Amino acid sequence: MSIQDEKSLQHDDHEGHGSTSLYVSVFIALCCLTSLSFLTYFDFWRNTVPVGFSRAFMLAVSCIKALLVITFFMHLKWEANWKWMLTVPASLMAIFLMAVLVPDIGLRMQHASYERMIYAAEVPADEDTAHDTDGHDDKAHSPSDKAEH
Amino acid sequence: MSDSNNHSPMFDYQPALPISNGKTFMWLFLSTEIMFFAALIGTYIVLRFGALSWPSTHDVHLAEIWGAVNTFVLICSSVTVVLALEAAKKNNPSSAKGWMLLTLVLGTVFLGIKMFEYRAKFSHGLYPQSPHSQIYEKPDVYYAQAVRMRLLDLKKSLLEKTERTEAEEERIALIDKISLDWVEPAEKAIRKKPDSPEGRKLLFMLSDKIYPRASIHDHRAGANHAAAAGPTFTLASTAGDSASSAHPVGLNDQHPWLRLPIMIPGGNMWVSTYFLLTGFHALHVIVGLIAFAILLKMTLGPAKAGLIENIGLYWHFVDLVWIFLFPLLYLF
Repeated sequence: MSIQDEKSLQHDDHEGHGSTSLYVSVFIALCCLTSLSFLTYFDFWRNTVPVGFSRAFMLAVSCIKALLVITFFMHLKWEANWKWMLTVPASLMAIFLMAVLVPDIGLRMQHASYERMIYAAEVPADEDTAHDTDGHDDKAHSPSDKAEH
Repeated sequence: MSDSNNHSPMFDYQPALPISNGKTFMWLFLSTEIMFFAALIGTYIVLRFGALSWPSTHDVHLAEIWGAVNTFVLICSSVTVVLALEAAKKNNPSSAKGWMLLTLVLGTVFLGIKMFEYRAKFSHGLYPQSPHSQIYEKPDVYYAQAVRMRLLDLKKSLLEKTERTEAEEERIALIDKISLDWVEPAEKAIRKKPDSPEGRKLLFMLSDKIYPRASIHDHRAGANHAAAAGPTFTLASTAGDSASSAHPVGLNDQHPWLRLPIMIPGGNMWVSTYFLLTGFHALHVIVGLIAFAILLKMTLGPAKAGLIENIGLYWHFVDLVWIFLFPLLYLF
Protein backbone atom coordinates (compact mmCIF):
# COMPACT_ATOMS: atom_id res chain seq x y z
CA MET A 1 0.00 0.00 0.00
CA SER A 2 1.52 3.32 -0.97
CA ILE A 3 1.87 6.14 1.49
CA GLN A 4 -0.76 8.02 -0.42
CA ASP A 5 -3.16 5.09 -0.16
CA GLU A 6 -2.54 4.88 3.52
CA LYS A 7 -3.13 8.55 4.00
CA SER A 8 -6.39 8.54 2.12
CA LEU A 9 -7.37 5.42 3.97
CA GLN A 10 -6.66 7.01 7.29
CA HIS A 11 -8.55 10.05 6.22
CA ASP A 12 -11.63 7.99 5.38
CA ASP A 13 -11.21 6.01 8.50
CA HIS A 14 -11.22 8.96 10.80
CA GLU A 15 -13.87 10.98 9.18
CA GLY A 16 -16.84 11.75 11.38
CA HIS A 17 -15.01 11.01 14.64
CA GLY A 18 -16.23 12.40 17.88
CA SER A 19 -15.34 15.80 19.17
CA THR A 20 -13.70 16.70 22.45
CA SER A 21 -17.06 17.58 23.95
CA LEU A 22 -18.35 14.10 23.10
CA TYR A 23 -15.37 12.50 24.82
CA VAL A 24 -15.87 14.68 27.87
CA SER A 25 -19.54 13.71 28.10
CA VAL A 26 -18.61 10.01 27.80
CA PHE A 27 -16.07 10.58 30.57
CA ILE A 28 -18.74 12.15 32.81
CA ALA A 29 -21.09 9.26 32.07
CA LEU A 30 -18.35 6.77 33.02
CA CYS A 31 -17.70 8.61 36.29
CA CYS A 32 -21.42 8.64 37.14
CA LEU A 33 -21.68 4.91 36.41
CA THR A 34 -18.65 4.18 38.59
CA SER A 35 -20.22 6.06 41.49
CA LEU A 36 -23.46 4.16 40.86
CA SER A 37 -21.76 0.80 41.32
CA PHE A 38 -19.85 2.18 44.30
CA LEU A 39 -23.22 2.96 45.92
CA THR A 40 -23.70 -0.76 46.49
CA TYR A 41 -20.90 -0.58 49.03
CA PHE A 42 -22.82 1.53 51.51
CA ASP A 43 -25.04 0.24 54.27
CA PHE A 44 -28.27 1.81 53.09
CA TRP A 45 -27.93 -0.10 49.84
CA ARG A 46 -26.89 -3.36 51.49
CA ASN A 47 -29.80 -3.14 53.89
CA THR A 48 -32.44 -2.59 51.27
CA VAL A 49 -31.35 -4.34 48.09
CA PRO A 50 -31.08 -8.14 47.80
CA VAL A 51 -27.59 -9.34 47.02
CA GLY A 52 -28.58 -11.04 43.77
CA PHE A 53 -30.08 -7.88 42.40
CA SER A 54 -27.10 -5.91 43.63
CA ARG A 55 -24.68 -8.13 41.72
CA ALA A 56 -26.75 -8.10 38.56
CA PHE A 57 -26.89 -4.33 38.83
CA MET A 58 -23.12 -4.04 39.19
CA LEU A 59 -22.50 -6.28 36.19
CA ALA A 60 -25.01 -4.33 34.13
CA VAL A 61 -23.27 -1.08 35.05
CA SER A 62 -19.91 -2.63 34.11
CA CYS A 63 -21.28 -3.77 30.75
CA ILE A 64 -22.63 -0.30 29.99
CA LYS A 65 -19.28 1.24 30.93
CA ALA A 66 -17.46 -1.28 28.75
CA LEU A 67 -19.77 -0.51 25.83
CA LEU A 68 -19.19 3.22 26.22
CA VAL A 69 -15.42 2.74 26.19
CA ILE A 70 -15.51 0.41 23.18
CA THR A 71 -17.95 2.50 21.20
CA PHE A 72 -16.46 5.94 21.69
CA PHE A 73 -12.92 5.71 23.03
CA MET A 74 -11.98 2.76 20.85
CA HIS A 75 -13.80 4.39 17.92
CA LEU A 76 -15.81 1.32 17.01
CA LYS A 77 -18.84 3.51 16.40
CA TRP A 78 -17.13 4.97 13.35
CA GLU A 79 -15.48 1.86 12.00
CA ALA A 80 -16.61 -0.09 8.95
CA ASN A 81 -18.09 -3.57 9.09
CA TRP A 82 -14.75 -5.27 9.69
CA LYS A 83 -15.25 -4.53 13.38
CA TRP A 84 -17.79 -7.35 13.65
CA MET A 85 -15.38 -9.83 12.16
CA LEU A 86 -12.84 -9.28 14.90
CA THR A 87 -14.97 -8.58 17.93
CA VAL A 88 -17.87 -11.01 17.54
CA PRO A 89 -15.85 -14.27 17.36
CA ALA A 90 -13.68 -13.20 20.30
CA SER A 91 -16.71 -12.26 22.37
CA LEU A 92 -18.45 -15.52 21.47
CA MET A 93 -15.41 -17.49 22.56
CA ALA A 94 -15.35 -15.54 25.81
CA ILE A 95 -19.04 -16.24 26.42
CA PHE A 96 -18.67 -19.95 25.59
CA LEU A 97 -15.80 -20.14 27.98
CA MET A 98 -17.94 -18.68 30.75
CA ALA A 99 -20.85 -20.94 29.80
CA VAL A 100 -18.90 -24.18 30.05
CA LEU A 101 -17.87 -23.18 33.55
CA VAL A 102 -21.48 -22.76 34.66
CA PRO A 103 -22.08 -26.43 35.64
CA ASP A 104 -19.19 -26.06 38.03
CA ILE A 105 -20.82 -23.09 39.67
CA GLY A 106 -24.12 -24.91 39.91
CA LEU A 107 -22.80 -28.18 41.24
CA ARG A 108 -19.85 -27.30 43.43
CA MET A 109 -20.44 -27.39 47.14
CA GLN A 110 -23.96 -28.72 46.86
CA HIS A 111 -22.84 -31.29 49.36
CA ALA A 112 -20.15 -30.44 51.83
CA SER A 113 -18.66 -32.99 54.18
CA TYR A 114 -19.50 -32.84 57.85
CA GLU A 115 -15.84 -32.21 58.60
CA ARG A 116 -15.86 -29.15 56.34
CA MET A 117 -19.08 -27.94 57.84
CA ILE A 118 -18.00 -28.02 61.45
CA TYR A 119 -14.76 -26.27 60.67
CA ALA A 120 -16.35 -23.75 58.37
CA ALA A 121 -14.97 -21.17 60.75
CA GLU A 122 -18.02 -19.91 62.47
CA VAL A 123 -18.30 -19.87 66.22
CA PRO A 124 -19.71 -23.33 66.88
CA ALA A 125 -23.14 -23.21 68.44
CA ASP A 126 -23.36 -24.57 71.97
CA GLU A 127 -26.24 -26.90 71.45
CA ASP A 128 -25.01 -28.82 68.44
CA THR A 129 -23.42 -31.69 70.34
CA ALA A 130 -25.83 -34.19 68.85
CA HIS A 131 -25.18 -33.63 65.21
CA ASP A 132 -26.64 -35.52 62.36
CA THR A 133 -24.27 -36.70 59.71
CA ASP A 134 -26.03 -34.86 56.95
CA GLY A 135 -24.10 -31.94 58.19
CA HIS A 136 -26.79 -29.37 57.76
CA ASP A 137 -27.01 -28.44 61.40
CA ASP A 138 -24.28 -25.82 61.44
CA LYS A 139 -25.46 -24.20 58.30
CA ALA A 140 -28.95 -23.93 59.68
CA HIS A 141 -27.81 -21.37 62.19
CA SER A 142 -28.16 -17.99 60.67
CA PRO A 143 -25.31 -15.53 61.09
CA SER A 144 -27.19 -13.97 63.96
CA ASP A 145 -26.42 -16.76 66.40
CA LYS A 146 -22.76 -16.88 65.64
CA ALA A 147 -20.08 -14.81 67.23
CA GLU A 148 -21.29 -14.93 70.75
CA HIS A 149 -17.96 -14.02 72.18
CA MET B 1 4.03 -0.94 -4.45
CA SER B 2 6.99 0.41 -6.40
CA ASP B 3 5.79 -1.23 -9.59
CA SER B 4 2.41 0.43 -9.51
CA ASN B 5 3.20 2.29 -12.74
CA ASN B 6 3.77 -0.93 -14.67
CA HIS B 7 0.34 -2.49 -14.61
CA SER B 8 -3.08 -1.39 -15.56
CA PRO B 9 -5.22 0.48 -13.07
CA MET B 10 -7.68 -2.41 -13.22
CA PHE B 11 -5.39 -4.50 -11.03
CA ASP B 12 -5.03 -1.98 -8.28
CA TYR B 13 -4.25 -3.53 -4.95
CA GLN B 14 -7.29 -3.86 -2.73
CA PRO B 15 -6.54 -4.30 0.97
CA ALA B 16 -8.54 -6.99 2.73
CA LEU B 17 -9.49 -4.69 5.56
CA PRO B 18 -9.95 -0.95 5.16
CA ILE B 19 -7.52 -0.26 7.98
CA SER B 20 -3.78 -0.12 8.34
CA ASN B 21 -1.79 -3.27 9.12
CA GLY B 22 -0.84 -1.97 12.55
CA LYS B 23 -4.43 -1.47 13.53
CA THR B 24 -5.42 -4.88 12.18
CA PHE B 25 -2.77 -6.54 14.26
CA MET B 26 -3.67 -4.55 17.35
CA TRP B 27 -7.29 -5.65 17.04
CA LEU B 28 -6.27 -9.26 16.45
CA PHE B 29 -4.07 -9.05 19.54
CA LEU B 30 -6.92 -7.49 21.52
CA SER B 31 -9.28 -10.28 20.50
CA THR B 32 -6.84 -12.80 21.98
CA GLU B 33 -6.62 -10.61 25.05
CA ILE B 34 -10.40 -10.66 25.39
CA MET B 35 -10.26 -14.45 25.58
CA PHE B 36 -7.30 -14.39 27.96
CA PHE B 37 -9.03 -12.16 30.48
CA ALA B 38 -12.39 -13.87 29.95
CA ALA B 39 -10.69 -17.11 31.01
CA LEU B 40 -9.18 -15.49 34.10
CA ILE B 41 -12.36 -13.72 35.13
CA GLY B 42 -14.49 -16.79 34.36
CA THR B 43 -12.27 -18.95 36.54
CA TYR B 44 -12.48 -16.38 39.29
CA ILE B 45 -16.28 -16.44 39.15
CA VAL B 46 -16.34 -20.24 39.31
CA LEU B 47 -13.98 -20.35 42.26
CA ARG B 48 -15.62 -17.42 44.02
CA PHE B 49 -19.19 -18.67 43.82
CA GLY B 50 -18.32 -22.33 44.16
CA ALA B 51 -16.40 -21.74 47.37
CA LEU B 52 -17.87 -22.86 50.66
CA SER B 53 -16.61 -19.69 52.27
CA TRP B 54 -15.09 -16.55 50.92
CA PRO B 55 -13.61 -13.72 52.95
CA SER B 56 -15.35 -10.38 53.00
CA THR B 57 -13.28 -7.51 51.67
CA HIS B 58 -12.50 -6.20 55.13
CA ASP B 59 -11.34 -9.60 56.32
CA VAL B 60 -8.48 -9.33 53.88
CA HIS B 61 -7.77 -5.62 54.28
CA LEU B 62 -9.20 -4.67 50.92
CA ALA B 63 -10.47 -1.10 50.89
CA GLU B 64 -13.20 -0.48 48.33
CA ILE B 65 -12.42 3.20 48.14
CA TRP B 66 -9.00 2.55 46.59
CA GLY B 67 -10.56 0.36 43.95
CA ALA B 68 -12.98 3.15 43.12
CA VAL B 69 -10.18 5.73 43.02
CA ASN B 70 -8.19 3.49 40.69
CA THR B 71 -11.21 3.12 38.42
CA PHE B 72 -11.48 6.89 38.25
CA VAL B 73 -7.76 7.24 37.53
CA LEU B 74 -7.93 4.75 34.65
CA ILE B 75 -11.03 6.39 33.15
CA CYS B 76 -9.22 9.75 33.26
CA SER B 77 -6.20 8.21 31.55
CA SER B 78 -8.43 6.79 28.81
CA VAL B 79 -9.75 10.28 28.13
CA THR B 80 -6.27 11.79 28.02
CA VAL B 81 -5.17 9.20 25.44
CA VAL B 82 -8.13 10.07 23.25
CA LEU B 83 -7.36 13.77 23.60
CA ALA B 84 -3.70 13.13 22.73
CA LEU B 85 -4.84 11.39 19.55
CA GLU B 86 -7.15 14.28 18.66
CA ALA B 87 -4.34 16.79 19.26
CA ALA B 88 -1.94 14.78 17.10
CA LYS B 89 -4.48 14.61 14.28
CA LYS B 90 -4.90 18.36 14.44
CA ASN B 91 -1.13 18.72 14.09
CA ASN B 92 -0.61 19.99 17.60
CA PRO B 93 2.38 17.94 18.80
CA SER B 94 3.04 19.87 22.00
CA SER B 95 -0.53 19.49 23.21
CA ALA B 96 -0.49 15.80 22.22
CA LYS B 97 2.68 15.33 24.21
CA GLY B 98 1.10 17.05 27.21
CA TRP B 99 -1.88 14.70 27.16
CA MET B 100 0.41 11.75 26.68
CA LEU B 101 2.53 12.80 29.66
CA LEU B 102 -0.63 13.12 31.75
CA THR B 103 -1.63 9.60 30.71
CA LEU B 104 1.76 8.32 31.79
CA VAL B 105 1.39 10.07 35.16
CA LEU B 106 -2.13 8.67 35.67
CA GLY B 107 -0.96 5.16 34.81
CA THR B 108 1.86 5.52 37.33
CA VAL B 109 -0.62 6.73 39.96
CA PHE B 110 -2.69 3.62 39.30
CA LEU B 111 0.33 1.41 39.85
CA GLY B 112 1.30 3.38 42.96
CA ILE B 113 -2.11 2.82 44.52
CA LYS B 114 -1.91 -0.85 43.56
CA MET B 115 1.46 -1.15 45.29
CA PHE B 116 0.07 0.55 48.37
CA GLU B 117 -2.79 -1.94 48.35
CA TYR B 118 -0.43 -4.89 47.92
CA ARG B 119 1.63 -3.69 50.86
CA ALA B 120 -1.43 -3.70 53.10
CA LYS B 121 -1.92 -7.37 52.25
CA PHE B 122 1.71 -8.35 52.65
CA SER B 123 2.02 -6.62 56.00
CA HIS B 124 -0.79 -8.81 57.33
CA GLY B 125 0.74 -12.05 56.10
CA LEU B 126 -1.58 -12.35 53.11
CA TYR B 127 0.68 -13.89 50.50
CA PRO B 128 -0.36 -16.18 47.67
CA GLN B 129 2.03 -18.90 48.71
CA SER B 130 4.24 -20.24 51.46
CA PRO B 131 6.66 -19.62 53.09
CA HIS B 132 5.36 -16.07 53.45
CA SER B 133 1.68 -16.88 53.61
CA GLN B 134 0.37 -17.19 57.15
CA ILE B 135 -3.14 -18.16 56.10
CA TYR B 136 -4.99 -21.17 57.50
CA GLU B 137 -8.43 -22.08 56.23
CA LYS B 138 -10.02 -23.33 59.42
CA PRO B 139 -9.40 -23.29 63.15
CA ASP B 140 -8.56 -26.95 63.68
CA VAL B 141 -5.79 -28.85 65.45
CA TYR B 142 -3.34 -28.09 62.66
CA TYR B 143 -3.94 -24.41 63.10
CA ALA B 144 -3.38 -24.62 66.86
CA GLN B 145 -0.24 -26.63 66.21
CA ALA B 146 1.08 -24.01 63.79
CA VAL B 147 0.48 -21.28 66.35
CA ARG B 148 2.24 -23.30 69.02
CA MET B 149 5.23 -23.99 66.75
CA ARG B 150 5.54 -20.35 65.82
CA LEU B 151 5.45 -19.31 69.47
CA LEU B 152 8.06 -21.94 70.32
CA ASP B 153 10.33 -20.73 67.53
CA LEU B 154 10.02 -17.15 68.70
CA LYS B 155 10.71 -18.10 72.28
CA LYS B 156 13.66 -20.25 71.34
CA SER B 157 15.35 -17.49 69.39
CA LEU B 158 14.77 -15.08 72.29
CA LEU B 159 16.11 -17.51 74.87
CA GLU B 160 19.24 -18.12 72.83
CA LYS B 161 20.36 -14.58 73.51
CA THR B 162 22.64 -14.36 76.50
CA GLU B 163 21.82 -10.78 77.35
CA ARG B 164 18.22 -9.80 76.95
CA THR B 165 16.77 -6.35 77.06
CA GLU B 166 13.68 -5.51 79.04
CA ALA B 167 11.61 -5.46 75.85
CA GLU B 168 12.77 -8.96 75.02
CA GLU B 169 11.86 -10.20 78.47
CA GLU B 170 8.42 -8.72 77.93
CA ARG B 171 8.17 -10.58 74.66
CA ILE B 172 8.95 -13.87 76.35
CA ALA B 173 6.31 -13.14 78.97
CA LEU B 174 3.78 -12.40 76.26
CA ILE B 175 4.59 -15.60 74.40
CA ASP B 176 4.10 -17.58 77.61
CA LYS B 177 0.85 -15.82 78.31
CA ILE B 178 -0.55 -16.57 74.84
CA SER B 179 0.52 -20.20 75.10
CA LEU B 180 -0.98 -20.66 78.54
CA ASP B 181 -4.17 -18.66 78.15
CA TRP B 182 -5.16 -19.48 74.59
CA VAL B 183 -3.24 -22.20 72.82
CA GLU B 184 -3.00 -24.83 75.53
CA PRO B 185 -6.64 -24.80 76.66
CA ALA B 186 -7.81 -25.10 73.07
CA GLU B 187 -5.44 -27.93 72.22
CA LYS B 188 -6.27 -29.78 75.42
CA ALA B 189 -10.01 -29.48 74.95
CA ILE B 190 -9.95 -30.70 71.37
CA ARG B 191 -7.60 -33.55 72.29
CA LYS B 192 -9.85 -34.68 75.13
CA LYS B 193 -12.99 -34.63 73.02
CA PRO B 194 -12.18 -34.49 69.31
CA ASP B 195 -14.58 -32.40 67.25
CA SER B 196 -16.43 -31.29 70.35
CA PRO B 197 -18.10 -27.87 70.20
CA GLU B 198 -16.17 -26.72 73.29
CA GLY B 199 -12.83 -27.47 71.71
CA ARG B 200 -13.82 -25.94 68.40
CA LYS B 201 -15.04 -22.87 70.17
CA LEU B 202 -11.73 -22.43 71.96
CA LEU B 203 -9.84 -22.89 68.69
CA PHE B 204 -12.07 -20.32 67.09
CA MET B 205 -11.45 -17.92 69.95
CA LEU B 206 -7.70 -18.42 69.56
CA SER B 207 -7.84 -17.57 65.87
CA ASP B 208 -10.07 -14.61 66.62
CA LYS B 209 -7.66 -13.34 69.26
CA ILE B 210 -4.80 -13.42 66.75
CA TYR B 211 -6.60 -12.12 63.66
CA PRO B 212 -10.15 -10.91 64.31
CA ARG B 213 -12.08 -10.83 61.07
CA ALA B 214 -14.17 -7.79 60.37
CA SER B 215 -17.04 -9.87 59.02
CA ILE B 216 -17.40 -11.76 62.29
CA HIS B 217 -17.26 -8.66 64.44
CA ASP B 218 -19.36 -6.45 62.27
CA HIS B 219 -21.69 -9.17 61.30
CA ARG B 220 -22.07 -7.70 57.99
CA ALA B 221 -22.19 -8.16 54.41
CA GLY B 222 -21.08 -11.14 52.61
CA ALA B 223 -19.46 -12.36 55.73
CA ASN B 224 -18.58 -15.96 55.32
CA HIS B 225 -20.68 -17.84 52.98
CA ALA B 226 -22.66 -15.35 51.06
CA ALA B 227 -22.29 -17.62 48.09
CA ALA B 228 -23.15 -20.87 49.79
CA ALA B 229 -26.15 -19.52 51.65
CA GLY B 230 -29.62 -20.05 50.36
CA PRO B 231 -31.58 -17.70 48.18
CA THR B 232 -32.96 -15.93 51.23
CA PHE B 233 -29.56 -14.60 52.15
CA THR B 234 -29.25 -10.89 51.72
CA LEU B 235 -26.49 -8.45 52.39
CA ALA B 236 -28.59 -6.96 55.13
CA SER B 237 -26.78 -7.20 58.40
CA THR B 238 -27.29 -6.24 61.97
CA ALA B 239 -26.55 -2.74 63.12
CA GLY B 240 -23.01 -1.50 63.16
CA ASP B 241 -21.17 1.16 61.31
CA SER B 242 -19.54 -1.00 58.73
CA ALA B 243 -18.73 1.87 56.42
CA SER B 244 -16.22 3.13 58.94
CA SER B 245 -14.36 -0.12 58.23
CA ALA B 246 -12.35 0.13 61.42
CA HIS B 247 -10.51 -3.15 61.59
CA PRO B 248 -10.69 -4.95 64.88
CA VAL B 249 -7.26 -5.21 66.44
CA GLY B 250 -5.73 -8.62 67.07
CA LEU B 251 -2.49 -9.89 68.55
CA ASN B 252 -0.77 -9.69 65.17
CA ASP B 253 -1.69 -6.01 64.92
CA GLN B 254 -0.70 -5.18 68.48
CA HIS B 255 2.61 -7.02 68.20
CA PRO B 256 3.69 -7.16 64.56
CA TRP B 257 6.81 -9.18 65.46
CA LEU B 258 4.61 -12.14 66.40
CA ARG B 259 3.47 -12.91 62.84
CA LEU B 260 1.32 -15.76 64.07
CA PRO B 261 -0.64 -17.95 61.66
CA ILE B 262 -3.98 -16.40 60.81
CA MET B 263 -7.28 -18.07 60.07
CA ILE B 264 -9.33 -16.84 57.12
CA PRO B 265 -11.86 -19.26 55.62
CA GLY B 266 -11.35 -19.24 51.86
CA GLY B 267 -8.34 -16.98 52.38
CA ASN B 268 -5.88 -18.96 50.27
CA MET B 269 -8.15 -19.03 47.27
CA TRP B 270 -8.84 -15.36 47.72
CA VAL B 271 -5.18 -14.32 47.72
CA SER B 272 -4.43 -16.56 44.75
CA THR B 273 -7.21 -15.16 42.60
CA TYR B 274 -6.73 -11.58 43.76
CA PHE B 275 -3.02 -11.48 43.05
CA LEU B 276 -3.38 -13.38 39.77
CA LEU B 277 -6.08 -11.09 38.37
CA THR B 278 -4.69 -7.79 39.60
CA GLY B 279 -1.14 -8.94 38.86
CA PHE B 280 -1.86 -9.70 35.21
CA HIS B 281 -3.73 -6.45 34.91
CA ALA B 282 -0.84 -4.55 36.49
CA LEU B 283 1.56 -6.20 34.02
CA HIS B 284 -0.58 -4.88 31.18
CA VAL B 285 -0.49 -1.43 32.76
CA ILE B 286 3.31 -1.58 32.93
CA VAL B 287 3.53 -2.52 29.24
CA GLY B 288 1.24 0.40 28.41
CA LEU B 289 3.40 2.79 30.42
CA ILE B 290 6.51 1.64 28.54
CA ALA B 291 4.70 2.28 25.26
CA PHE B 292 3.72 5.79 26.42
CA ALA B 293 7.30 6.51 27.48
CA ILE B 294 8.50 5.54 23.99
CA LEU B 295 5.80 7.70 22.38
CA LEU B 296 6.88 10.69 24.47
CA LYS B 297 10.25 10.67 22.70
CA MET B 298 8.61 11.18 19.31
CA THR B 299 7.08 14.22 17.68
CA LEU B 300 3.42 13.48 17.95
CA GLY B 301 2.14 14.94 14.69
CA PRO B 302 -0.44 13.57 12.22
CA ALA B 303 2.14 11.07 10.93
CA LYS B 304 2.11 9.37 14.31
CA ALA B 305 -1.68 9.41 14.72
CA GLY B 306 -1.95 5.76 13.67
CA LEU B 307 0.61 4.69 16.25
CA ILE B 308 -1.06 6.71 19.00
CA GLU B 309 -4.39 5.20 18.07
CA ASN B 310 -3.05 1.64 18.26
CA ILE B 311 -1.43 2.16 21.64
CA GLY B 312 -4.58 3.98 22.74
CA LEU B 313 -6.67 0.94 21.75
CA TYR B 314 -4.48 -1.20 23.95
CA TRP B 315 -4.79 1.24 26.83
CA HIS B 316 -8.58 1.40 26.53
CA PHE B 317 -8.62 -2.37 26.71
CA VAL B 318 -6.61 -2.26 29.93
CA ASP B 319 -9.21 0.19 31.25
CA LEU B 320 -11.95 -2.15 30.09
CA VAL B 321 -10.57 -5.08 32.04
CA TRP B 322 -10.38 -2.98 35.19
CA ILE B 323 -14.01 -1.92 34.71
CA PHE B 324 -14.93 -5.58 35.26
CA LEU B 325 -12.31 -6.35 37.87
CA PHE B 326 -13.36 -3.52 40.17
CA PRO B 327 -16.89 -4.70 41.02
CA LEU B 328 -15.91 -8.38 40.93
CA LEU B 329 -13.01 -8.06 43.32
CA TYR B 330 -14.08 -5.19 45.52
CA LEU B 331 -17.86 -5.07 45.62
CA PHE B 332 -19.19 -8.59 45.09
